Amino acid sequence: MPSDLLIIGAGLAGLMAGIHAAQQGLRPRIIATGFGATHWTAGTIDVLGYLPGDPEPVHHPFQAVPQLLAQRPQHPYGLVGVPALRRALQHFQELTTTLGLPYGGGRNPHTNFLLPSPLGAPRPTFLAPVAQRAGDMTREEPYLIVGFRGMRDFYPTLMAENLTRQGHEARAIFLPLDLITPQQDNTPLHLARALDREAVAMRLAQALKSHIQPGERVGLPAILGLERHQQVWGLMQEILAAPIFEIPTLPPSVPGIRLTRALRRHLERDLQVPVDLGMTVMDFHAQAARVQWVRTRASARPLKHRAQAFLLATGGFLGGGFTSDTRGRAWETVFHLPLTIPQDRGQWFRPDFLAAEGHPIFRGGLRADAEMRPVDTTGRVVYENVRLAGDLFTDSDPLAERSLEGVALATAWVAVHGLKFA
Amino acid sequence: MPMRNLHTEILVIGGGVTGVGVAWDAALRGFDVILVERRDLAHGTSGRFHGLLHSGGRYVVKDPVSARECIHENRILRHTHAPCIEDTGGFFVVTPEDAQSDYPDRFVQACAQTGVPCEEIPPAQALREEPRLNPAISRVFRVPDASIDGFQLVHLTAQAAREAGARIFTYHSVQDLVLTQDGGGPRVVAARVHDTVGDETLLIHADLIINAAGAWSGRIAGMAGCQVEIVPGKGIMMATAHRLVNTVINRCKWPSDGDILVPAHTVSIIGTTDTPVADPEDLRIEAWEVAKMMEEGEKLIPGFRHARILRAWAGVRPLYKAKEAASDRDISRQFALLNHRTRDGVAGLITITGGKLTTFRLMAEKTVDLAAQELGPRRACATASTPVAPSQKDLYWLGHRLREVEDHHLQHELICECELVTRGMLEQAVRNNPTVTLDDLRRDVRLGMGPCQGGFCTYRAVGVIHELQTGEGLVPDTENAPWQVDRLTSPGQTPSSPTSFPRQAHTTSPLYNPNLLLRDFLQERWKGVIPILWGQQLKQEQLDRLIYLTLLNADHLPDPHLKSPLTDFYHATASLATPSSDPD
Ligand SMILES: Cc1cc2nc3c(=O)[nH]c(=O)nc-3n(C[C@H](O)[C@H](O)[C@H](O)COP(=O)(O)OP(=O)(O)OC[C@H]3O[C@@H](n4cnc5c(N)ncnc54)[C@H](O)[C@@H]3O)c2cc1C
Repeated sequence: MPSDLLIIGAGLAGLMAGIHAAQQGLRPRIIATGFGATHWTAGTIDVLGYLPGDPEPVHHPFQAVPQLLAQRPQHPYGLVGVPALRRALQHFQELTTTLGLPYGGGRNPHTNFLLPSPLGAPRPTFLAPVAQRAGDMTREEPYLIVGFRGMRDFYPTLMAENLTRQGHEARAIFLPLDLITPQQDNTPLHLARALDREAVAMRLAQALKSHIQPGERVGLPAILGLERHQQVWGLMQEILAAPIFEIPTLPPSVPGIRLTRALRRHLERDLQVPVDLGMTVMDFHAQAARVQWVRTRASARPLKHRAQAFLLATGGFLGGGFTSDTRGRAWETVFHLPLTIPQDRGQWFRPDFLAAEGHPIFRGGLRADAEMRPVDTTGRVVYENVRLAGDLFTDSDPLAERSLEGVALATAWVAVHGLKFA
Repeated sequence: MPMRNLHTEILVIGGGVTGVGVAWDAALRGFDVILVERRDLAHGTSGRFHGLLHSGGRYVVKDPVSARECIHENRILRHTHAPCIEDTGGFFVVTPEDAQSDYPDRFVQACAQTGVPCEEIPPAQALREEPRLNPAISRVFRVPDASIDGFQLVHLTAQAAREAGARIFTYHSVQDLVLTQDGGGPRVVAARVHDTVGDETLLIHADLIINAAGAWSGRIAGMAGCQVEIVPGKGIMMATAHRLVNTVINRCKWPSDGDILVPAHTVSIIGTTDTPVADPEDLRIEAWEVAKMMEEGEKLIPGFRHARILRAWAGVRPLYKAKEAASDRDISRQFALLNHRTRDGVAGLITITGGKLTTFRLMAEKTVDLAAQELGPRRACATASTPVAPSQKDLYWLGHRLREVEDHHLQHELICECELVTRGMLEQAVRNNPTVTLDDLRRDVRLGMGPCQGGFCTYRAVGVIHELQTGEGLVPDTENAPWQVDRLTSPGQTPSSPTSFPRQAHTTSPLYNPNLLLRDFLQERWKGVIPILWGQQLKQEQLDRLIYLTLLNADHLPDPHLKSPLTDFYHATASLATPSSDPD
């Protein structure tokens, strides 16, 4: 049975679009090569952390949108508008609460707050899993940063030192990794799985207890359980009687994986929306400015997927939604939509990797109208029944702006809510 | 500020392969030696070359003297420097484009005349050995080319020099030469040297100064008022994400651009070009050079055009322009050995420049022969029969490091998964080799050289170094003596001589700031990927940005203005030919 809406991409934008569509009464289906960038990020919802070229973090993301648009007029926040962005964020917060993976903001619900990165640098974010919130750098409690000897993806003394350099009180301790597992060369995911076992979590809590001084908040790498995260975190807080917070680690990111799993489970179990991975679109067919079908490469044989509408959420260069070749040509990989990027490859990059204004190539992308339909350079809609969501838009560099999740949520929301079917 | 004074018989300037070769040779003969290098060992051309231990095949037609030198040295280095050499063998292949030329026949003849072993094999056999080769090749010749690791070569030779008594100071830059007028005329008696890490100037007095500063040697000679014209010739190379071939592949034609593919560890390297540049620091890579490599690679390996490229870099050849008849000329036309006493009337200074990495030992031998003439005879040259790492007799092979890591779990967790760098290796390298930037560690242990180009290991390495600094290292310091990182030996293979020379670690320097280390290395890696970011590698770069911007927020760390001696260098060399100005 053909679906109403075929969503291509299973990152945050694609998964959320599936949820919105099902809640609207549509029959969506999600296909993707693999999971999106959420498996690699901090698991927070970053809305707008920095304006281009400005080293100071954004305090009030919604109020800063006009400034952003002054520099990047076609930014997706301009297309969707602030009210839709806020609605999408609120919906996300309600949804994750009902899914048992609640998210929350800082003390002021309208502003960003600063969470310490694993290097101790202040990350401006808007919503975070509740288990990360006690890291809030506007709070005063001294930090105790806990690391594990032999864990290659987290370095507590480095984090504590950078916190100290910024005027926070912070110290670091190490616990032996064999409290959690006897194995070597673990990823954070292995460790989180091990901590799903209550006995292991108890052992860790007991070992940690004597190290905590009164008044301290305790930061641990984000490995406090995968499936039973909320319980593991609760148990730690209870036994240790101190605010416990998680610090995201190098990929694979446990907080991002938790979120992806919660959304996928909700889609498949509660909403009966199929999420099929391992499907890469090879080609498509369009007639009279409407896409009829896309064809995927799968292990067995190519498959044709028809739908009334298609939602592209393939995530730009990072997700594989765009690619490029040696000659400096770049293109959108599914529908070959026109990409706005600097024509000359010599203009793609700045000499400084950390340049505050970012690299021109990474803010190249697709142009869209207010319904998230792709448009060409003259503003003409390319395909009536295609919608865009996530990190696909020109004039935006979500990694530099720290807006990756905000853009995904807002554009998925608008793209699906504007759909009208005959 | 009072200046510190040091005294030695021979001061060698330059820590490339030529300089460490001279220091090694001279120390073995019993001279008192100091070597100063402005940055890290092998930071110059010796760490930016193609990785080919020449059989001489490339030169048999064009330059038979070079060819003879190469095959002679090739045979010696396999014994003296075994652990840096992988015996890949080499092919000279005749591609369809070159099939009409008479070069292949001249090549065979010239091989016979110069003594470079050469065996013609059926193309079908070559294709069985190297299935990715262009199936349209018409003739194939096998020669004893090999793959050689320049970082390890320089480090091992330096280590051997130290063990023979030489003192080696890195991050020590020669600012000026001090001359006196003795009876016969001017004489160079000392060098003013700036320690760029300790920010201190020292005066090193020497009976003889040997200028082995490669493409910079003209500048050093100029400090003594001697004119040595060096034309820096820039060449670029690119590494593929995979080892496309296991044999060195040369085009059988008159040497030119992009006609050699060298397997090196887990990658293959295509190269190179030769463009005169005004400044040896000008290592920028032009778009046409990249395009040229892709195009030429395609002729050797069909599909090369679509290969994932990890990185591009450039090195500069020191091309010596001989002064008409005035000099007492080089021993061979292939490198320049200049005695400035006889050439320019300035005593106390010798310049050795040009040549090839393959012939460095020979160059050092001739140089120290001349030094012995100037200073009085010593023991005979011993380098041809003295292995630099006596405990490591075997040539390198690809699975070497994996075996080390699997056999010896004492080395702790893997920090760089691409290159199998363990925490143990890293800690030992930091303790034993001067480390001012993470790039120095890269040359020691290959940190960050794989497909992710430092994406994961930069943060980890900075974390490990910081823990070492704060006394939280994992490898007890006592394990150092029997396990030397630059030899990549494991605890099971104790080298014969324990390290007795003083370590030159910088872990207490104010420059040793973790945030600076991190930023510098991210920038260093960035400069080498800009020219080749497309397709998969552009996607990889987005993942690295995700890690360093959104996850780690590395662009908003404390001490943003701190600089190392190399910060500006990394920024200056990082751009495409077309200056990257912002279109909007
Ligand atoms: C593109 C390219 C590819 C090559 N491929 C090969 C190959 O495959 N096989 C081969 O055999 N040869 C090859 N060569 C040649 C070979 O790499 C060089 O001949 C060799 O590395 C030169 O070594 P060097 O020690 O003389 O110079 P360098 O390695 O450049 O050493 C000179 C050193 O002097 C230092 N220095 C400069 N100024 C000062 C100062 N004021 N004070 C202190 N130190 C200073 C520099 O920092 C530098 O480290 C290649 C060369 C190029 C350019």
